[in-house]
Amino acid sequence: MSECGQIRDWLIVQGELDADERRRVETHLAACLGCAREASSLHEILGQVQALPVPEPPAEFWGDFEATVRRRVEDAPAPRPGVWARVIGWLGSLTGSWRIPALAAATALGLLVAFGLVRNRQPQRDIPPAEVLAVGEDLAIGQHLEVLENLDLFEEFDVLEGLDLLQQLDGGGRSRLS
Amino acid sequence: MRQSDSEVIQRVLAGDRAAFDVLVRQYQERIYRLGYRMTRNAEDAKDLAQEAFVQAYRSLGSFQQRSSFSTWLYRISMNLCLNHLKSAGRMNPAEVGGSLPDQRPNSMDDILTDERDRTLAAAIEALPPQQKATLTLRVYQGLSHREIAEVLECSEGTAKANYFHAVRALQRRLKAFRETE
Repeated sequence: MSECGQIRDWLIVQGELDADERRRVETHLAACLGCAREASSLHEILGQVQALPVPEPPAEFWGDFEATVRRRVEDAPAPRPGVWARVIGWLGSLTGSWRIPALAAATALGLLVAFGLVRNRQPQRDIPPAEVLAVGEDLAIGQHLEVLENLDLFEEFDVLEGLDLLQQLDGGGRSRLS
Repeated sequence: MRQSDSEVIQRVLAGDRAAFDVLVRQYQERIYRLGYRMTRNAEDAKDLAQEAFVQAYRSLGSFQQRSSFSTWLYRISMNLCLNHLKSAGRMNPAEVGGSLPDQRPNSMDDILTDERDRTLAAAIEALPPQQKATLTLRVYQGLSHREIAEVLECSEGTAKANYFHAVRALQRRLKAFRETE
């Protein structure tokens, strides 16, 4: 985007530019007649929009307006504060020796609830029973089974230079599992 | 000394219904004008403004004061206006000029100003609802883009983009008008 294009876009959201952007706009407008005219035109349009009249209602309008709202409000159920607002309000109304224990109890309750929510969100790390662990071990060995079964084939490939090492590690791996 | 909105709200929630009158009187003109700018119809603007206050009263218990009361009230009002525009349909832009108050023209300048105002009003009426809402809140209520985003429950970037497109549309329309003068 050209500098003029950027400046003309910024002119529209002027009033919410940061200090650097405002400085760039001011500097550019001082040097660019086209953009300065655009800024002036924009200012004029927004002024004209703002000045568009709203017909003034007659004098009795607002009296009737308020009366209608009041009537409808009187027919509506009275609003009640939300649950937490009521709890906080109740705590605030306590005086004397009840306030501190009540605050402490409310804090403790809040912490318990928060802890319970956090705990439920964490993934369960169940400790599997022993028989599952044993099967797991077999499976772990099984991951190497294909290699073990094909060791004689692999031995034929010179690229497996570290095969001795692999065989040694395999023996070490078994001892790790036992 | 005038009570803050917060203090009045607490009184209402404590059971003082009459205290709500304070909020009505404080904001009725603003909410009515907002409705008028959106609908260009005095009767609709009155009905929508009254409904906004009644809904605000009913929901006062759930107002958590994370935003100002005025922002919250604007949100209720705007939602009502936008729903109204969706169901009633927008005014024919050609008819919008008739909704402007008669300003008896005294001179050629007055006639041209009158024509220009009608063109502008029609151009605003022709804007998509979200752009019109953004323009109305920015130009007439003086809200920042962040506040507009809160009212219209969109991102600040969307609010800026809607305002940008609205202003560009008005510029094009006015330019076309000037070329025909």
